[in-house]
Amino acid sequence: MKRVSLVTVRKRLVAVFLISMLLFAVIITRLGYVQFVLADELISKAESSWSRDITFEPERGSILDVTGDVLVGNQSAPTVMVVPRQVSNPEQTAKALADILNMSEDKALEHVTKQISIERIHPEGRKITEAQAQSIQSLGMDGVYVAKDSKRHYPNGEYLSHVLGFTGIDNQGLMGLEAFYDERLSGKQGELSFFADAKGKRMPDIADVYQPPEDGDDLRLTIDHRVQTIIERELDIAAEKYNPDSAIAIAVEPDTGRVVGMSSRPDFHPAQYQEVAADVYNRNLPVWSTYEPGSTFKIITLASALEEDLVDLNDDHFHDSGSIKVDGAKLHCWKGGGHGSQSYLEVVQNSCNPGFVQLGQRLGKEKLFSYIDDFGFGSKTGIDLEGEGTGIMFKPEQIGPVEQATTSFGQGVSVTPIQQVMAVAAAINGGYLYQPYILDAWLDPVTGDVIEENKPELKDRVISEETSKEVRHALESVVAQGTGKGAYVEGYRVGGKTGTAQKVGPDGQYMDNNYIVSFMGFAPADDPELVVYVAIDNPKGTVQFGGVVASPIVGAIMEDSLPALGVKPRKDGLEKEYAWPEEPLVEVPDLVGLSKKELQTYMVDLKVEVNGEGTEIIEQTPKAGVKVETGATVRIHLGN
Amino acid sequence: MTEKARHPDWIMVGTILMILILGVVMVYSSSSIWSEYKFDDPLYYAKRQILFAVFGLIGMYVFTNVSYHVWQKHAKWIVIVCAIFLVLVLVPGVGMVRGGARSWIGVGVFSIQPSEFMKLGLILFLARYLSLYQKNIQSFQKGFLPVLTIVFVPFIIIMLQPDLGTGVVLVGTSMTMVLVAGARLLHFSWIGLAGLLGFAALIISAPYRIKRITAFLNPWEDPLGSGFQIIQSLYAIGPGGLLGMGLGESMQKFFYLPEPQTDFIFAVLAEELGFIGGACVLILFFLLCWRGIRTAIHAPDLYGTLLALGIVGMITIQVMINVSVVTGLIPVTGITLPLISYGGSSLTLTLASLGILLNISRHTVR
Repeated sequence: MKRVSLVTVRKRLVAVFLISMLLFAVIITRLGYVQFVLADELISKAESSWSRDITFEPERGSILDVTGDVLVGNQSAPTVMVVPRQVSNPEQTAKALADILNMSEDKALEHVTKQISIERIHPEGRKITEAQAQSIQSLGMDGVYVAKDSKRHYPNGEYLSHVLGFTGIDNQGLMGLEAFYDERLSGKQGELSFFADAKGKRMPDIADVYQPPEDGDDLRLTIDHRVQTIIERELDIAAEKYNPDSAIAIAVEPDTGRVVGMSSRPDFHPAQYQEVAADVYNRNLPVWSTYEPGSTFKIITLASALEEDLVDLNDDHFHDSGSIKVDGAKLHCWKGGGHGSQSYLEVVQNSCNPGFVQLGQRLGKEKLFSYIDDFGFGSKTGIDLEGEGTGIMFKPEQIGPVEQATTSFGQGVSVTPIQQVMAVAAAINGGYLYQPYILDAWLDPVTGDVIEENKPELKDRVISEETSKEVRHALESVVAQGTGKGAYVEGYRVGGKTGTAQKVGPDGQYMDNNYIVSFMGFAPADDPELVVYVAIDNPKGTVQFGGVVASPIVGAIMEDSLPALGVKPRKDGLEKEYAWPEEPLVEVPDLVGLSKKELQTYMVDLKVEVNGEGTEIIEQTPKAGVKVETGATVRIHLGN
Repeated sequence: MTEKARHPDWIMVGTILMILILGVVMVYSSSSIWSEYKFDDPLYYAKRQILFAVFGLIGMYVFTNVSYHVWQKHAKWIVIVCAIFLVLVLVPGVGMVRGGARSWIGVGVFSIQPSEFMKLGLILFLARYLSLYQKNIQSFQKGFLPVLTIVFVPFIIIMLQPDLGTGVVLVGTSMTMVLVAGARLLHFSWIGLAGLLGFAALIISAPYRIKRITAFLNPWEDPLGSGFQIIQSLYAIGPGGLLGMGLGESMQKFFYLPEPQTDFIFAVLAEELGFIGGACVLILFFLLCWRGIRTAIHAPDLYGTLLALGIVGMITIQVMINVSVVTGLIPVTGITLPLISYGGSSLTLTLASLGILLNISRHTVR
């Protein structure tokens, strides 16, 4: 075996030395890489690990009406915080807190002894009353702090609840405008940052950084509390009187699209929204619900036919036999026996279905549906509220003569209330289709100065000023002389159209004796300042006609709102025609011998008072053939 | 060859003292916060470290003046005693568990780490063995394999504690000695391959090591678990920059780095003294390495050469592994920074070893 020479040993020692030199160089390079190249990233990460932030809550912006009245404000609602490390007597502290906050002592003790730097007592210690806060502060317990916090305050209770929405426990917007404009209402959290050691103790000698919170901007709405109050009052009365499934009212300024009032029933108190079903607070019916509009939709057919010059309201005549045959199907007028011979103005006043079928046929499928599209149906209006519906239109390939005919008088299509309001606003304001909106302006929370103002947005010009004028005149005559007399207001030239919409039941068939009765009104007819739409879903104990139930409500709203808004009364309006010869009188049918069930199909126009027990009707007053006013009561006796 | 011993290598002595003083200062600076928190005394660790340093310096002085040939005679017995202690550590009730490894033996403050002593014991034994049987070293069966066996036994015992860091230092030091003694490079490539396979097996057998490796590749994947230490270490080094935050101004020692006076003391040093301070420490260690290898080259006999190389190799490898871990270059391996990290066994033993090295330097020939 060859002996290893000393030279080899030395060579290898030198090699070992050179390798170690290389490795030292690599390590120093790595050190430099960390301290120079990675430094920036590491510093920012390290600083965020060293710094502790105490957050300061901004004050959420108030919501005001157009006159500056507070609709949603803030109320002091302090929150209890505990710094467990500073609590000197945990048992005693827990007992005192438990007493004041109405919680169990065990739970309080858990909070007080938790391994955490700052503990919020949730939920019992959050949003407490001033009285609770004072009694906690008066005890002066170590490590217990009362922090400033606030909760939403609703001076008007249920008022405008669906539009306003509500906030959660952290003042975050959950529904309605509170959610839609949450970011800007919230403002920005402020914070006090300081460096702390890993155990959370503040480092001495390092300056704190304080970033003050920025309060949220105040939100001023287009809503006018004077009109809104009237609407709320009228819906309350209607709910009391008719016990409907639901009720809707919308008031819009036709020349801008500003929403002046909006409400619906059932409603809720925003501070106690959990007390009602989710469906109630989730659905803002004026923008959410979709249903067949019924006769109010005839305004669109009318406006389109007039724009296309297809009808002369005074000179053209139409004979209504009570029904019209379309493609083999027989479409009935709402009035049994028909209206006989009428001018087209009377067709509008009488809301005569066959007459409108005729107008729809004159327009033709293409034109009719093109106008419907132009008036904004089938797409969202773009209102700044949550949960807007789109509605359902026929697909072009589905439209046959029957679909075309029913659409002419408002059946078979499904639309939202806000779509109808904006379409009618366009029909009567000179043809301008606006986007409805509810945000008027953002205000500086301190100075109240306007930061940003919302402007009306014109979407389309649909019909001419001339046509619009004719529509206004026709609709004014509906109120003065036709089915909408309930909405007549002396001196304010109310125009409008009744609607009785059929509802599709769960089985896909139209339901019996269950309608959405509505009225679409505007005033004054020479230069409309307000469009008001009211819809009552399934009113009880009344004839379910828009003219009977909804038009007086619109009339009442107009009567009080227009003077409140400063609209001057007019002198040259159409006179109300008091003795309408046909419509109010109804012939009492022969009911004796019918079953209780069959009764419902006969008694569309009349109220029924039931006496006795049994399945068959044995007597009636008044007798068959007697003429009574629409809505009069027929008493029946049941027996077997 | 002169019989009369000359003065030791003063450059090496100076380097050692500079590193040692810097170490004591850094132990004080890095430990004061934890020390105050745990013992109500910010000087608790510093005082003890000074005591260890004094004790170690006495040992170094004594060993500088004890002829290194003394160890040649007793090497066999030294390594056997070390091995006995090393095995005793594994016995539950005798060995104490600290930081997840059963590496300690003794009572309370008078506890030692036998694996530290084993490192020196094995170096002493290998220096003697390799110088005696150098003629066989190029044979696989007669030279290479027996040496491997001698190294492998204590390595396995240390890995049972488990203490991967010390195990790697032990093997690294031994292999350097075998290489310089003249073993064939071909044999190294075989054990290199075997080592790789063994390393893979070790990782598969103990899942926590896998976690350490993935943590090293991206510590932010598990910032509170396996990546915690390296992240905290980088949070110290990064902000240090060129000049550091100033002595005593570390943020990470405020409970962010666990036990900052031991394995991660270099992170606090780089945070407070910056790149300048960190690089100076590395250059001082490089200086020590250079003087040590120079001593090995000029040692009067092969035994002296291999002993000097073993001692300087042990210290240098430990420095390299420690700083690489702390700067995130390699996965976390529990290992202290020689002469700087807090720890009695480690410091006294390192100084004693350096005493032996200094004694060899007194006998160098030109």
